[in-house]
Amino acid sequence: MSALRAYRLLLLAYPAEFRERFGAGMQQAFRDRYRAARAQSAAVAALFLLRTLLDIAANAAALRFSRKERTPMNWQSLGADIRYAGRMFARNPVFTSLAVAALALGIGANAAIFTIVNGVLLKPLPYGQPRGLVMVWSSNAIEHRDHDVVAPLDFLDYRKADAFADMQATSSFIVGASMRTAAGTEQIVATAVTPGMFEMLGRRPAIGRNFTPQEVQTAVIVSNRFWRSRLGGDANVLGRVLTIQDQPRTIIGVMPDDFVFPYKSMLGPSGFTRSSDVEAWLPLAFVNANSRATGVATLTRNARFLSVVGRLKPGVSVAQGNGEIAGIAHQLAASYPDSNRVVGANVIPLHEQAVGGVRPALVLLLAGVGFVLLMACVNLANLLLARSSVRQREMAIRSALGAERRRLIAQTLVETVMLACMGGAVAILVVSWSMSALLRLAPADMPRIGEVHADVTVLAFTFALSVITGMAIGIVPALAASRPELQSSLKSSGRGSTSGRGQRRLRGVLVVAEVGLAVVLMLGAGLLLRSFLSVLAVDPGFRPDNLLTLQIALPNSYQTADQRRALYASLFSRLDALPGVASSGGTTRLPLGSTNVTTKIGIEGRDIPPGAWPEVEFRRAIHNYFEAMGIPILRGRGFNATDGPTAPPVVVINQTMARQLFANEDPVGRRLRMGTSSPRSTIVGVIGDVRHSALDAAPSPELYIPGLQGPPTNPFIVIRTTADPAALAATVRAEVQAVDKTIAAYDIRTMAQVRSESVAQRRFVLILVAAFGVLALVMAAVGVYGVMALVVSERTAEMGIRLALGAQPGAVLRLVVRQGVALAATGVAIGVAASIAMTPLLSTQLYGVGALDPPTMAAVPALLLAVAAIACWLPAHRAMKIDPVNALRV
Amino acid sequence: MNVDRFLPLTPVVLEIALALAAGERHGYEIMQDVERRTDGRIVLHPGTLYRALGRLLDQGLIEELDERPASEDDERRRYYRLTALGNAVARAEVERLADQVSAARRLFRGGRA
Repeated sequence: MSALRAYRLLLLAYPAEFRERFGAGMQQAFRDRYRAARAQSAAVAALFLLRTLLDIAANAAALRFSRKERTPMNWQSLGADIRYAGRMFARNPVFTSLAVAALALGIGANAAIFTIVNGVLLKPLPYGQPRGLVMVWSSNAIEHRDHDVVAPLDFLDYRKADAFADMQATSSFIVGASMRTAAGTEQIVATAVTPGMFEMLGRRPAIGRNFTPQEVQTAVIVSNRFWRSRLGGDANVLGRVLTIQDQPRTIIGVMPDDFVFPYKSMLGPSGFTRSSDVEAWLPLAFVNANSRATGVATLTRNARFLSVVGRLKPGVSVAQGNGEIAGIAHQLAASYPDSNRVVGANVIPLHEQAVGGVRPALVLLLAGVGFVLLMACVNLANLLLARSSVRQREMAIRSALGAERRRLIAQTLVETVMLACMGGAVAILVVSWSMSALLRLAPADMPRIGEVHADVTVLAFTFALSVITGMAIGIVPALAASRPELQSSLKSSGRGSTSGRGQRRLRGVLVVAEVGLAVVLMLGAGLLLRSFLSVLAVDPGFRPDNLLTLQIALPNSYQTADQRRALYASLFSRLDALPGVASSGGTTRLPLGSTNVTTKIGIEGRDIPPGAWPEVEFRRAIHNYFEAMGIPILRGRGFNATDGPTAPPVVVINQTMARQLFANEDPVGRRLRMGTSSPRSTIVGVIGDVRHSALDAAPSPELYIPGLQGPPTNPFIVIRTTADPAALAATVRAEVQAVDKTIAAYDIRTMAQVRSESVAQRRFVLILVAAFGVLALVMAAVGVYGVMALVVSERTAEMGIRLALGAQPGAVLRLVVRQGVALAATGVAIGVAASIAMTPLLSTQLYGVGALDPPTMAAVPALLLAVAAIACWLPAHRAMKIDPVNALRV
Repeated sequence: MNVDRFLPLTPVVLEIALALAAGERHGYEIMQDVERRTDGRIVLHPGTLYRALGRLLDQGLIEELDERPASEDDERRRYYRLTALGNAVARAEVERLADQVSAARRLFRGGRA
C-alpha cells in the first residue's frame, strides 16, 4: 500500500528517538485506520489522509519544539533565515514576483478545484451523524436495475429490519405544483416525506417544528430559500396558508439555510422534472384507496415511487444492513410472486448515493490540476537551479566560514517555502475572487454544487499544499547548492563557466519531466475534446433546432380526463394558430431534459407470468407531438384525432422496442397490456429512436399512448417555430394564461438550450482540462526555452570557438536544437506511456473515442515536439548572431 | 502517592485512560474504542495518540506489555495497560469531574428556581 509508504516517510518529521519508540505502532494504527476509512468510501479515506497530514505536522512540531533539550533546530537561526530570505526577495523583485505569480497560479488552481471537491465529495452531507445514513433500493434482476425505487408495502416490510434504527421514505418524483397567490399562479417545487424524515436525518426547522408522527395532511414545511425569496423572510410566517394544488396548507416550519433534501441522485430515474431544490415538504400519508392526490400514497406492491432512506443502528455496518434487507426482499419474492418475483433489495451509504456519480469527473480534474502544479514546481526548480549555480560562490563562502550543511539546506528550503507561502496567500485571494466564475461554469445539476464555498478545510489544504510545494521546489536546488565543490567554486572567480555534469543532467531530467507532464495533460484534453465533439454529433432522433419547450402544471380543478382533454384541445388549437408556429404537441417526458418512468407489458400470445413481464419506458404523446419534434414514423402510423377516449386503445413503440421484443415479427397490429387489469392496446406504429436520458446513452425500448386516451396533468409542451423560438416565449406564456390563468407555465427553454444543458458536465470538465492543457503547453515551452537559453549562454564561448574554427552556423544551430529536441522526445515518450497507464482515470469521461485514439496520439506529441524545437531554436539562433570575437572575450 | 499533581487530565488523556480501564489494548484498539464510545466526537489520530501515550509512559501512569495477550495475532503489537497509579489518577479525575458537574447542576437548578 503506497499510502503506508508515504506515511513511513512522513514519520521522519518526528524526532528520531520518538520514532524509534513508537514508529511501528503508529504505522500499524495508521494502516488499520486507513483500511477502515477506505472501506467506508474514498471520500472518507481522502479526508482521513488530510487529517493525518495535519496530525503529523501538529504533533511533530509539538514534540520538536516543546522542550528545549529536544530542539535540534533553534528558532533564532530560523528567524535569521527568514530575514535573509526576505532581503534576497527584495533584492530580486522581478524573480520574486514571477515565482510568486507562477506559484499563485498553480496553487490557486488546485485550491479552486479542491474547493469544489471538498464541498461536493468530502464534506459530510448536511444531516446529523450522516455516517449511519443509507439509501435502501429495490432491485430488478430481469431488467438489470440495481437502484429501483420502492413500493409502499415493500417499504413497510423493509422497515421491520433489525439493523435499522429508523427508516423513512420520500416521494421519488418531484413535479412542479401550482401555488395560487394574490398575483396569479406560480410554480412551487414540492415533495412529500414520511413525517419522521427530518428527525431521522437529525435536522429540525430553524423556525417552527418538525412534522409529528400523525401530522395533519394540511401541514407544510418550507425551505429557507423559499421563505426568504417568496415569503419575504417574515419572522411570523408560522400559521400562514399556502394554496398548493388548490389545497390550503398551513406553514408549520422553515428549514435551516444549509438543509437540502432530497438530492437528485436519491430519486432514481423518475427524479426531478428538472434539477432544482425542493421548496416545500408535505407529510406523506399511506392510504388503502387508490388516490392521485398530492401527499398521499396508495399502499401497493405494484407501483414503485418511494425513495427510502434509513439510519443504521450504531455499530451496524452497511454490509449487515444490506444482508438483512436482501433477506427480507427474498422472503417477499416468495410470498408475493406476482409482484415481487424478480425484486431484490440493497443498501448503499447515503453520501455515496448523493455524490458518487460525479466523483470520476472531479477526481480527473483534481489529477489534471495537480499536474499543472507539478509543472509549475518543475519550472521553478529549474529556475532556482540556474540561480543556485550563480549563488554557488555565496554558498561556498558560507560553508568555508563554518556553516553546517544542514543549515545551508535549511536556508534554501526556508526561501522556497516562503516563496510558496506567498504564492499560496495570493492564491487564496485569487480563489475567493474567481470561485463565483468557476461555479457559474459548473453544471447546475452537479450534486451539492450549491454547497460549495471556501472554508477552513480549503484554507488548511492551501497552506499544507504551499508548504509541500515549497519543500518540493527547494529540495533539489538545496541539495545541489549545499554540496559546493568548494575549491573549484572559489577558484573560478570571474569567468562564467559551464555548470558541472551533475547539474546539467538534473536540468535534462527536469525538461523531460516537464514535457512528459504536458503530454499527459494535452492528451487528456485532446481526448475529452474529441469525446465532446462526438457526443454533439450524435443524432438525438429529433430535430432540436427551432423548438420551444415549456412545462405546465394543472391545478386540481382539472380532476377528470374530460376536463383535461377539453383544455388541451383549446390550448393546442390556440398555439397552432399563433403566427410563427409550424406545429405543436406535448409529452410527459422531454428528451434530454427530464425524467423517466416505466411500465410492465404483457404481449398477447406470449405465455409469461405477470411478475416476469418485460418493462419498457412509458410516455404520452399529445396532439401533434411526433410531428412537432420531427420524430420520424417508420412503420404504420402516428396518433390522430380518431384515437379518442371511446376508440380502441392504441400505442406507438420505438425502433428499439420493436427490435428487442418483436425481433422477426411485424409489431404493427400486435396487442399488449400495461398491467394485468388494463385492456389490451393495439400497436399502430413504430417511430424512430430518440435519445432520452442523454445524448451518450443508448436508447431504451419505449412505448407511447395517445394524449386523448390518457391526458396528463403535468405535461411538457413543445412548439416548432418557423423562426427564432426564443422570441416566441412571451407570446406562448401569455397564450397559456389566456386559456386559464390558474395554470402555472414554467421552465420555458429552447430545445437547443435543453440539449446544451444536457452536456454541461462534459463541457465543464473539457473547458477546465483544456485550460490545464494550454497552461501546461505554455509552461513546457517556457521551461524548455529557459533551460536551452541557459545552455546556450553557458556554451557561448564554445560556440565562438567552433565558429572561429570554421564551423558552419547551421551545423552549430542543429547541434543545440538536436540536444533540446532529444530531451523533449524522451519526455514525449514517457508522457505517452504515462497517459496509457492512466487511461482508467479518463475512460469514464470518454465517448466515441478510444483511450488510444490515433489522431490525438499523433497530434499531441507532434505539437509538443514542434513547440520544443521552436523553444530550442530561438536561443540557438540568437547565439549564431554573436561575433566570435566577442564570444571569446567574455 | 499524591495523584492530584496529575490533575486535571486533558480530554484525550482521560479517554485513553478510560479505554485502558477495561484491560490492555494496543494503539489501534484504543483509537477504535475512544471513537466508538464518544460516537465519533473524539477521533484520535496516530500522532496525537502516541504523543499522549509517550507522556503517560514517562509519567508512569501506563505501562507497556511485552507479551501478547492473544496468541492468534499475526504481528507483534505493543499493548498498554494502566498502572495502579494510572488507575488511581483516572478515578480521581472522574471524581473531580463529577464534583464539578454536580456543583454546576446545583447552580443551574438554583438559578431557574
